[in-house]
Order: sequence, then structure tokens, then C-alpha cells
Amino acid sequence: MALVHLDALYHVALRLTRNRAEAEDVVQEAFLRAFRSFHRFNPGTNCRAWLFTILRNVFLNRVRTQGREVLEAEMGGVDQAEVMADTHVGANPEEQFLQTVLHGDVDRAFAMLPLAFREAVLLVDIEGLTYREVAEIVGCPIGTVMSRLSRGRALLRRALVRFAREHGYVKEGE
Amino acid sequence: MNCSDIRARLHAYVDGELTVSDIAEVDGHCVGCPECAALVSAEREFRELLRRQPRDAAPSELRARILGRVRRDAAFATGRRWLLLPTVAMAAAIVAAVLLPARTPPPLVADLVDKHIAYAQIERPAELPSTNPREVAEWFQSKAGMRVTVPDYSPSGIQLTGARLAEAHERKAAYLLYEKGRTLLSVFMVPISASEPALPGRRVSYRDHDYVAYEQKGYRTVSWSDGQAVYGLVSMLDYDALLECAERLRAERARQTRL
Repeated sequence: MALVHLDALYHVALRLTRNRAEAEDVVQEAFLRAFRSFHRFNPGTNCRAWLFTILRNVFLNRVRTQGREVLEAEMGGVDQAEVMADTHVGANPEEQFLQTVLHGDVDRAFAMLPLAFREAVLLVDIEGLTYREVAEIVGCPIGTVMSRLSRGRALLRRALVRFAREHGYVKEGE
Repeated sequence: MNCSDIRARLHAYVDGELTVSDIAEVDGHCVGCPECAALVSAEREFRELLRRQPRDAAPSELRARILGRVRRDAAFATGRRWLLLPTVAMAAAIVAAVLLPARTPPPLVADLVDKHIAYAQIERPAELPSTNPREVAEWFQSKAGMRVTVPDYSPSGIQLTGARLAEAHERKAAYLLYEKGRTLLSVFMVPISASEPALPGRRVSYRDHDYVAYEQKGYRTVSWSDGQAVYGLVSMLDYDALLECAERLRAERARQTRL
């Protein structure tokens, strides 16, 4: 017996919690819940997406019990981040900085994203879900998924360009 | 479409979320507009970068712990048989073999992916636009003398949109077109002779059946052979959905053959 989606769930849980012990707890709880409520799964729909929905609920419940501060840190910061992401990082310096992204840079950049953007980029770009599936998991309209995705990607880019500058690969002003 | 239309649709285009006709418009625009073409390729490269990132596998202790808990739960429920049923069904759905697609697909599968991409560019890819499986099956019968099984995936939100006769490996093939939202699903049936070897490639087991799964040019494929034909599914849909569709087609085919 092998748990097919365990690695995918663990990976998402790590990105959500940013903590290995937390991620393990969240994944375990999510799997047990999934087994117990499997009669609610609609066969033929995406099983992984269904598991992600459960995982996300488990994670948010835990965050809520940890108190207001943690919750605000996770849910807030969106407005500010949206303003920051408004300046589009053009395609030109792109080709250069993509070559210079060091191991761990993407992890670092991901960890800095507010939750709403982090999960949208994670589910679409890394887990390959459709906009509709993400909208169902997150419980928001598809348009919101699209805007979070494009802003999330822009924020990631900005962070990566900044790291590239820190490493000295991209010069100031490029 | 002008440049700002393209830019508004950039992410949806790269994510494969546009309609077939919108995809064709973006492609058409990019041929004559190097700026937009550069944006598209930068966006693609960025996504590639994200996908290339190493992924953390779940620790084996976690796996063992979860399986232990699940077994204990199941044992606890043995007194109440009906409670055990969901666990058994779950075992089939999420406790199947691990999918590890190999690098290069068999030539026939690569050919089907190219067909899928090519037809996705056409405004009206179906020769026979139809949402009716029976009508499509009759069309293949009368047009090419082919007995084609046309599965109905509409309960899963995957809608039949039409059919066409295609060629794969210089053979006449039945091509069924489906859409889930804006994601296309191509289902091919390529007749083979009984003496042809089985489909090469790495096997994936799903609900006790063997399939070959490959990722090619960003598309996922699931294929199998029943000795009479090779069946191939190509889409951006994930493997869960593809394997589920494959299972249903296989079951429907077996049912029709028995009749």
C-alpha cells in the first residue's frame, strides 16, 4: 500500500506552514480526515484537489487556534503586496536572472509571499491544477485566482531579481 | 487582439486556460509581434524554473505513521462493516501505484501529443461537432466503418465537443474531443494488428489495470492497448482525471465488446 499523493501533500504543506514538524502534523491530520470522509468525495473529480482542500482547511484551523497574530500575518499583507506587485518586472532582465537563481532562492522567495499568493502560485505552477480547481479549493471566484496568480508571480520575480542583485549577478538598475 | 489584449491574457495563455480560438489568436499575434512573443517565452521560462525546483519527499516515518493510523481506524470499524467500505474505495483512489513517468514516450504517443497540440490551434478542430456520444459513434461507423467507443464523461464535467478522423503513424485513427472548462482532452483510438507488440514504456497500475503514462511538452498522456487498438488520452488535466477517464473508457469498451 502506498499513499500516492503523500509527497504532493507534504510539499504543499511545507510551503504553507514553512515548518517541517508542522507540515507533518497537517498532512497526517488531512489524510486521516480524507479517509474518514471519503464518502463525500465525488468520483471522477480530481482526488488530489480534494485532498488539497482538506489539507488547507486543516492548516487554516491550526493557524486560527494559534491566535490572532499568526492569522493576521497569514491573511493580511495582501493589499500592501498588491501595490508592490503592480510594477511589472519586464521580460528583458528576465533571461539573465533566470540563469542566476541559486539553489534555495525560490524557497526563500516563496516563504516571503503572503498566503493568498503563495497558495495560488503553488497550486497552479507547481502542482499543475486548473484555475477552476484552485478557485474551488480556496473558495473564491476564478478571476480572483487569476489576479492572485499574476501578482504572486510578479512578487516572486521581484524577490528573485533582488536575490540575484545580492549575489552580484544582476547590476543595479537592470 | 492587440498587445494589451494579449498582455491581459498572458497568464491564462501560458497556463493553458484560454479557449481554442483565443489560443489561436494569441499565437497569430505573437508571430508578428516580437515583444509579446518575448513576454510569452519569459513567462514560460519562469514557470519552468518554478517547476524545476527540487521537491521534498515526505519522510518515510510520516508515511508509516499515517498508514498505521489508517489501519487502526479500519480495524476499529470492522464491527461496523459499512464504515470499512469508504476505506476500501479510498485504497483504490489514493492508494494506487506511484506515478513516475519516464522521459521519452513511445513514438506513437509522441505523435498523439503533436496531434493534440496541432488541433488545439485550429478554430474548429472537430469534423463533426457534437455533444452526443451515440451520434459520434454512428458517424465513425458510417464514415469509416470503425466501431468506436465514445465515453460520456459529462458527470465529471468533461464535455464531448466533437470528433474527427485523424492519422497516427500512417493509420486511420478515431479522434474524440472533450473539454473540461477550457482544458482540452483528446482521446485517440488507433487500430493495431494483433501481432503488434504491446505499447512500450513504464507501466502504471491503476485500479488493477496497466497504463503507460508520459509527460510530453507539458501535456500528460495515459495510454494502453487491448490487442485491437491503442488508446491514448492527451491533456493538461492531471493524472487522476486522466486515469479515471481511461478506466471508464476501458470499462465501456469491454462492455460493448461483450454485447
